[in-house]
Amino acid sequence: MVSALYLIAAALAAAFLLGLLKEQWRGAAYAVTLAALAFMIWVSAGWLWAFALEGAAPVEIFTAGAEPPFAINLRMGLAEAALTLLINLTGLLSALYLKDALSRLGRRALAVLLIAIMALCGIVLTRDVFNLFVFFELIVIATGGLVLLSDDDHALAAGFKYLIVSQVISVFLLVGIIFAYHATGTLNIDGMAGASLGLKTGGALAFFLMFIAVVAELKPFPANGWALDIYESAHPAFSAIFSAATGAAALYAVDKLLLIGGADWLPVATGIGLVTFVAANILALPQTNDRRLLGYSSIAQTGLVLAVLGQRDILGDATPYIAFGLLASHAVAKAGLYWLSGLVAGRALADWAALRNRPLLLFAFVTFICMLAGLPPFPGFYAKWELARFLAAEGRLALLALILFGALVEAGYLFRWLGYLIKREAPAAETACTPHQATAVFAAVIAGWALGFVWGDLSGRNNLLLVLPLLFALAFLLLEWLPAWTKNTLAIAGMVGWFVLTWTEYDPLRLIFAVIFLIGGAITLLASYAAHGRRIGFYPSAMLMYAGMAMLIRATDSFDFFAAWELLTVGSYFLILRGKHSEPHALSYILFSLGGAFLILAGFALAAQGAPHFDIASLGQLGQPAQPLAPWIFLLLAIGFMTKTAAIGVHIWLPGAHAEAETDVSPMVSGILLKAGLFGLFLLLMTMGRQRLYGIELTHALLWIAALTALLGNLMAIFQEDAKRLLAYSSIGQMGYALFGLALMNHLGWLMALMFVINHYIYKAMLFLSIGGVAKRTGTREMYRMGGLIRMMPLSFIPVLIGIIAVSGVPPLSGFGGRWIFYNAIMTAELRLPLVVIFLAGPIAFLYLFRLIHTIFLGQLKDEFRRVREAPFWIVLPQMIYVVLLLVFAVVPGLALRHVDAYLNRFFPEGGLGWTGPAITSSYGYWNPIAIMIVVGVIFATLLAWLLFVNRRAQKVRQFNIVFAAERPFRPETTHYAWNFFAPYRKAMGFLVQPFVTRFWETLTDLLHTAGDLARRLYDGNGQSYAFHFLAFVVAVFLLRGGV
Amino acid sequence: MAHLAMATGFLLILVGFYGALTNRNILRMIVAFSIADTGVNIVIVAVGYMRGRSAPILDSTVSAADALARIIDPVPQALVLTAIVIGVGVTALMLAYAYKLYEKKRSLDIAKFTELKW
Amino acid sequence: MIKRFIAFLLLIAIGGIFATLLIGYTPDAELNLTARYYAERTAADLGSANIVTAIVVTYRGLDTLGEVTVLFLSAAIVGLVLAGGRQRTPRPRAPVGELLTTGTRLLAPLIMLLGVYVFVNGHLTPGGGFQGGAIVASGVLLLLLADPLRHFSHGLISAIESLAGVFYVAIGLLGLLLAGGFLDNRILPIGTLGDLFSAGAIPLIYSLIGLKVGAEFASMLASLSGTEEL
Repeated sequence: MVSALYLIAAALAAAFLLGLLKEQWRGAAYAVTLAALAFMIWVSAGWLWAFALEGAAPVEIFTAGAEPPFAINLRMGLAEAALTLLINLTGLLSALYLKDALSRLGRRALAVLLIAIMALCGIVLTRDVFNLFVFFELIVIATGGLVLLSDDDHALAAGFKYLIVSQVISVFLLVGIIFAYHATGTLNIDGMAGASLGLKTGGALAFFLMFIAVVAELKPFPANGWALDIYESAHPAFSAIFSAATGAAALYAVDKLLLIGGADWLPVATGIGLVTFVAANILALPQTNDRRLLGYSSIAQTGLVLAVLGQRDILGDATPYIAFGLLASHAVAKAGLYWLSGLVAGRALADWAALRNRPLLLFAFVTFICMLAGLPPFPGFYAKWELARFLAAEGRLALLALILFGALVEAGYLFRWLGYLIKREAPAAETACTPHQATAVFAAVIAGWALGFVWGDLSGRNNLLLVLPLLFALAFLLLEWLPAWTKNTLAIAGMVGWFVLTWTEYDPLRLIFAVIFLIGGAITLLASYAAHGRRIGFYPSAMLMYAGMAMLIRATDSFDFFAAWELLTVGSYFLILRGKHSEPHALSYILFSLGGAFLILAGFALAAQGAPHFDIASLGQLGQPAQPLAPWIFLLLAIGFMTKTAAIGVHIWLPGAHAEAETDVSPMVSGILLKAGLFGLFLLLMTMGRQRLYGIELTHALLWIAALTALLGNLMAIFQEDAKRLLAYSSIGQMGYALFGLALMNHLGWLMALMFVINHYIYKAMLFLSIGGVAKRTGTREMYRMGGLIRMMPLSFIPVLIGIIAVSGVPPLSGFGGRWIFYNAIMTAELRLPLVVIFLAGPIAFLYLFRLIHTIFLGQLKDEFRRVREAPFWIVLPQMIYVVLLLVFAVVPGLALRHVDAYLNRFFPEGGLGWTGPAITSSYGYWNPIAIMIVVGVIFATLLAWLLFVNRRAQKVRQFNIVFAAERPFRPETTHYAWNFFAPYRKAMGFLVQPFVTRFWETLTDLLHTAGDLARRLYDGNGQSYAFHFLAFVVAVFLLRGGV
Repeated sequence: MAHLAMATGFLLILVGFYGALTNRNILRMIVAFSIADTGVNIVIVAVGYMRGRSAPILDSTVSAADALARIIDPVPQALVLTAIVIGVGVTALMLAYAYKLYEKKRSLDIAKFTELKW
Repeated sequence: MIKRFIAFLLLIAIGGIFATLLIGYTPDAELNLTARYYAERTAADLGSANIVTAIVVTYRGLDTLGEVTVLFLSAAIVGLVLAGGRQRTPRPRAPVGELLTTGTRLLAPLIMLLGVYVFVNGHLTPGGGFQGGAIVASGVLLLLLADPLRHFSHGLISAIESLAGVFYVAIGLLGLLLAGGFLDNRILPIGTLGDLFSAGAIPLIYSLIGLKVGAEFASMLASLSGTEEL
């Protein structure tokens, strides 16, 4: 192996050599720089290889032929190798990216860059505190120089502010070092640690000064105004170094210092890190400048890693895995984003829409955002999971809660930005990207995925990047050049194929979900044949969602379950985001989903109590430390799953997300995706059953939530004017029914919930397709604009008619079966009051569905729709399949239900149904679907015949406007009889559907925004203020520590 | 003696900080930081001082054999050299910055350079 | 006013921290572990009479390399920052006067000679590369004062600067290859204590440092002198 000293020697020699080259030999100077950086990469990569794969032992490097502490020594170990590699790679790629700016400024700038990278390596390698100081000063000066690479005039002032604060910092560092030396008689870090500096007179104070000075290099809140200015104004390639490499090196320096400080100082590190993480994320919320936003985010991420370093007392050997997982995600993503920001002309976040013209760059951006947000399969995801596991096991719950809260805020601004990128108006100008710049960006993309693979490999769990469904979904990224038709066929084949491969593994309950997720998904995909072109982005997203669901039902380990949950969330987010006006709705969807996912994460972590693997099945038999927490675990998981089923209170994302989605996406996210939440609830109730918290039976609370969800969901649906929104609200109500059945905690209740799962999938997918087809043809979703479409689109009418019969629960269709089981189930239930509520909800469902038929298909056809055609074949085809399915399920429900009924005996041996013969019997009576079908069919046919007979004498209707005398209708829609159709009901019950919940969440986000907006005024741009902040920070930490 | 020097050093640091925090003129701030740097250097040297001993140079008065008992701690002396040189480097850089800032706005008031904020 | 008040309060707190350090400070009666090693071993191991020099150049040679790099970096950046300012034509100015010009002619060579003496003898007497380099640079400053329009050969300065730096690193690497480690001075014989040619590579390194520091300072001064016309 080449000695690590060559990292320093090579860079210095090259930097000095540059001075010998003539100012004009720019190319040669640039080549020397790149060669030196490449050599450094080779050295650190060689070491990394040796440590990681060959298991080499860390190497001490002595200088001057004397042993430490008498001479400076360096150390090369696994962490050092990885960090120097990260630093050198960032350096080389930034140098590539900076080619133009560097050539303009000449060899001096190249030398400064080389020395900066060398000094960062030095910080990582050295084991001597004074040497650390020297390298830090080199960084300070080099930063002062590299800031000048920027074209931005403000960079000058930013650099000066930085120098001011650095001067103050270095005073503290020097005073600390000299007193630490006095106390221990050594400058060696390990020597100081061995001499237990903190116990010597003045030692603790000396350590405090050193520590606070080095921590200040991490830009802790609030002593970080200077860094923000640099992030904002420096050349983006330099900001990439500043964020990724400097941040990493400074973190490692703090880590080394913590060796000296010992366990006493770990909580301080955690405290500073956590405050920084949360505050910086909140401050980032109101940012509009992309680079400043990234600066805040960098500060936040560094704070998080610092907090993790401070938890090493409980993380133990897992610390590097977690800390470096977070750090690597941050460094790669941040460097990549800064490099990207150099390609975007405008500085506003919305200007990034320019990247949309370049799908590859867009993919890079999405990769980076997902890495930062800690989504699978990137290292941050594994790190987050492990971190939660340890924190929960040790009962550091407040810490865990704050970290998850901060992460959610961060996801808020990251995904808002992503939404801008995909939905905002793209500027016409082409985004220019030189090959050098592209190299840097895509090297980061590759590094991100590779790190994801490595972290999966090291996790001791299933490597997500080796899981077949996910690979299948990712493969569509490579197939984007194919026409949509081919990709659709592949997707359907893949889903059906996966089902065929795996169907024998599922128990009856899972089998039902598997059929809905995979086969049901394949059927909805039939509608996607109607799309033309290549449909870039649709298939990777859709298949990611389905992959997540496929993995979800197979998951037994809590980690696999959670990973699948996050994957299906991300996939569905991208899918929803495709809708024309879905930007805000997709954002609220992903935020609620991530919030829910964090609750699930916390719940699993609490349940596992530190066990590396936790089987979901063992939720039922929690070990001793977790047993008293069981109700809390139940609560966390239940709320987490209910965000996906849109229970009342966390439902506000659903209407927009489902209604604004594309025609073929709505049935997927409504008919199929919602079932993932129900699946989670099934698992939860199957394992944990009834839990009591402060004397409240939690399933009873669920019962109430479910009843209210059903009632309010239905109520809100009847007041909608938009047909797709109406269907979306109806989903909320329907999910309420399903949840109600589950919460009944008896055999029939569960059976009914399952029946709802099936029914809701079929008729909601069907209705969304039908209405989607109508909306596509008419160009509107407002019901009052339509009317009389039965003549133009008769095929689309059939599913709506059938659907109404099914949903409203009248005979003969399966909805009635559902109701029948439902009424049987509630006869055995314990609570009566919620039953009343849910009874109320029943007829309301009929009201809103009636509107669909009445306003869209019946009545008078409008002039503009005289030439409207039937919906496209591929949209009608799945609807017909659903009609058939619905009829079949209505006649022989036993096909699906009897196995499940038998399976449910395991949980509730009492109260099953009898399945002998064509009739189904319960203890209260029987239901014969076939007989009912025949009876109702006869009645229907008779009535229809009579109606047709009577109809001959009916008159043609000409008018549909209702205007009072002397009324002057300014808004035409108010005069339409079908607008505000249920106005009387609104008068009576409108108070129930006031958007209280929406207002609650809006106020919450507004408060966060306002807090961020107020707090950021702290950074008034004056360099002196920043010096004040730092001093105040020192004093505050000093006082909070109780004077050290 | 060492205490006196050290107290002076600390005082200089505080004076320097006060100057840097309250003077809005960039040049004055740079001067103030130089004062603080000097203070730090005095503190460093004061830490190595030992009463009644001589400089750590071996010559006719201090032989290699009795160095142990006769010389003061050489390490702070070596450190202070480095600290001084680094201080010079940073000061030079700040001066160059001050020149450029003045060239840009014809003003040396630090409060005038606040375009980047929040 | 309120700013001064807050500054005052903050500094009182910081002063409190310093006061605690001051009160808790007790001077060592004996040399500590590290210093003891240097006192006992420097002469025998490295052959340098000036122990501080031995520490600066050898034991903590990496610091010193960093230090030299700091100056190099500062000089480079100062040059970079001020590169725009030097283009314009200087205003005519009053002649500097006979006294300064003549004095300079007499003193500048002497000052530079003194500088060289100081850094060549760095391992024997108080002083060394940095001090010597600074003295050399003060000679340059005098020349600049006497003739502000004088153009120093930037090529020469930067050649000295670069070559000295490259040789410094090269000698350090020779230590790694031939002796005990990076910057080990024992690649040359350590000679007799107190001789000019003793202490192995220390005089060589310190001379290179002296040259480099002198060149660095000279280049910074030259760059800064270009700012005068503002």
